[in-house]
Amino acid sequence: MSDFKLTEWIFTTDHKRVGILYLIGSLAAFGVAGCAAVYIRLNQLSPSGGLFSDPQNYNIALYFHGAAMILAFLIPGLTGFFANYLVPLMIGARDVAFPRINAFSVWLFFAAIVLALISLMVSDGPDVMWTGYPPYSVTTVGNTAFYVFTVHLLGFSSILGAVNFLVTILYMRAKGMGFNQMNIFVWTVLGAFVLQLIFIPVLASAVTMLLFDKYLGTHFFDPTGGGDVLLYQNLFWFYSHPAVYVILLPAMGVLFEVISTMAKNRVFNYKACVYGGVFGLILLSGEVWVHHLYVAGMPNWLRTGQMVTTLLISVPVGLMVISLWGTLYRAAITYNVAMHYACACLFLLLVGGLTGIPLAMTVLDLHLGETAFIHAHFHFVMALFATFSIFSGIYFWFPKMTGRVADSKPALIGFWLNFVGVTMTFTPLFIIGMQGMPRRYATYEQFPQFEPYHQMATLGAMVVVVGMLLTFYSWINGAIRGPKAAENHWRSKSLEWTHAPSPPGPGNFPGQDPEVAKEWTPYDYAR
Amino acid sequence: MSVQVSLTQTSHAHHWETSVAPFAVVAGIFLALPLGFSAYFVYQNTLLTIALLGIGVPLLVFGVARWTTEGLTHAPLVPGLSLIAMPVFIVSEAFIFLALFATYWLTRLTTEAWPPAGSPDMPVGLPLIMTVLLVSSSVTIHFAEEKLEHGDTKGFIKPLVQTLVLGGLFLGCTVYEYSHLFAHHFTPGTNSFGMIFFTVTGFHASHVFLGLAAFVAVLLPALKGRTSTTFLKCVSIYWHFVDVIWFFVVSQIYFW
Repeated sequence: MSDFKLTEWIFTTDHKRVGILYLIGSLAAFGVAGCAAVYIRLNQLSPSGGLFSDPQNYNIALYFHGAAMILAFLIPGLTGFFANYLVPLMIGARDVAFPRINAFSVWLFFAAIVLALISLMVSDGPDVMWTGYPPYSVTTVGNTAFYVFTVHLLGFSSILGAVNFLVTILYMRAKGMGFNQMNIFVWTVLGAFVLQLIFIPVLASAVTMLLFDKYLGTHFFDPTGGGDVLLYQNLFWFYSHPAVYVILLPAMGVLFEVISTMAKNRVFNYKACVYGGVFGLILLSGEVWVHHLYVAGMPNWLRTGQMVTTLLISVPVGLMVISLWGTLYRAAITYNVAMHYACACLFLLLVGGLTGIPLAMTVLDLHLGETAFIHAHFHFVMALFATFSIFSGIYFWFPKMTGRVADSKPALIGFWLNFVGVTMTFTPLFIIGMQGMPRRYATYEQFPQFEPYHQMATLGAMVVVVGMLLTFYSWINGAIRGPKAAENHWRSKSLEWTHAPSPPGPGNFPGQDPEVAKEWTPYDYAR
Repeated sequence: MSVQVSLTQTSHAHHWETSVAPFAVVAGIFLALPLGFSAYFVYQNTLLTIALLGIGVPLLVFGVARWTTEGLTHAPLVPGLSLIAMPVFIVSEAFIFLALFATYWLTRLTTEAWPPAGSPDMPVGLPLIMTVLLVSSSVTIHFAEEKLEHGDTKGFIKPLVQTLVLGGLFLGCTVYEYSHLFAHHFTPGTNSFGMIFFTVTGFHASHVFLGLAAFVAVLLPALKGRTSTTFLKCVSIYWHFVDVIWFFVVSQIYFW
């Protein structure tokens, strides 16, 4: 770090540095959105509004927590940081296809973060959740424009990222590397970016019409002016349900790399996982959005049809999960911090996945749809699962990025606090959700019997706060003082470990371009 | 088909690559669009709007100019990939228009009388003239491409300028049409036809504007003798796409 130059980072076009910038931005967003989560939990401490009682601030906290966690932490963390840092290294390329567009993407992402932070400072901050449903988003005094532009900036950033990475993966693989020799992570990134490319424009159009409705006097979503209020919800979820798979796919990909390396085992059912799992998700993810609108007034043929596709989508996800578990079968497993997080992911995904089945069924969803049950379900299956997967990946590739190891006592204690804490926070929400605790409400004076459950959830959130502080400490401490890592620290077979130094310099691979043999795979542990 | 990583890449391996352009373009866009719009429409502060545009737009132009120069002088890792990237990007663009047209179809099919009360009679001649302008500009840009491909770095400028003029005339027609409609108190807020009409044609016109701006970015360095076939081809793929979208606009909005 002695030759650190700030301009070399701000104006960098190197995929690894762009990746690190994504990591810094998304972890910062995670920190602020985490504070919003703590605010929400403290608000629910007692039925009348806990420590804070201003419902407007509660709404802004809900908005910021949801929008920042999904759009500024999970998606950029996975498709920004991991994809940028790892995809060129894994496929043996010296950079992405368009390095300047890559730098453009990351600064668009930072512009969106700055805009989101400004929206916390203005007196009329957006208070429209992360969904921005009209008519409220059009009639509110809150600044819906900032919400719309945050989505625009992030969307544009992701679309350009998609173009860049699809071309990179298809045309810049190392000599000899066939499609069936790619890391599963590379496949999942490919899948995620196909979804981003196709579905983000729809969301961008939807929020643009919202902007026009609020500020230019149109009536796209106003039935009194000839519009249709449900149209927004359809367009919104047409993107935002696939967005779940934009997060799930690379999060799964990270787990495949961690688990196969730590188990020193081949990926079980590679082809079923790729051609059934990843491709199945790409095909089905655009046909399930109506399950977010079961109670909104959709026609029955559509609800029933999409109930079937929603249940069906557990098949590709199941194929990938079977591959993950199968990779552990008869393996020599090393339990380091990355592997602890990976195993926790298997549990979180199981709980989140199984509670998703009743929600997919229209009749049950009518009762559970607007309760805390949903809340708990999507935190397990998406938020917690993907966050733990990101943490697993950070510990796993930490030696690659810094040349040092972040595994330590605080890291392990942090893991257990995080794991116990999130389970404590969200399990009670399943129970009170089934008993009728509504989502999103700032107060619950009509349900005083739920107070102990909420208190337990808030206590869990406090445990997570301590765990997160320890986790962040372990990273900072590891980067500065951690023990030096070996070149191929986990003895992986993947190109980023076998061919590039830790950390890799400009151009990634010293000397000749990497070349792979016909029978080479990144999971070649049997030989 | 697969383009392989070539040995020339090793020349990149000794220093960290940097470029000011992407950062400048983002800063320009950020000040001019989200902040500029919000300053004007949300906070009704004209002075702030002018200040934001005054800083943002020059930054944007500087960034694009720098980017173009770098693109014309630096060799990419693998040449020619932009020709694949542009169609991929267009997939995304197509979905923007698909969402807008879906909105239109849904609104129209659920409205009893179309066009709804308060809509003026749409002109027939003007959209036909605009179609002729746009189609002929697609032809002239094809000539420009052919000339440049045969190495005629001077001769391609003429059809390129013709394209710019035709595209400019197209935008002129849009401005004329809009001002005419505004004068008859037909605005985006009038009724559901107004909002659809102005949104769809406005989105399309903004794409025409972007295409023309990109052609200017091709033209200015070309006057100094710096050309790139790939660059021109990319922009003209985009231009043809804008042309195709226009057929949907004309057939769906004007003549249905």
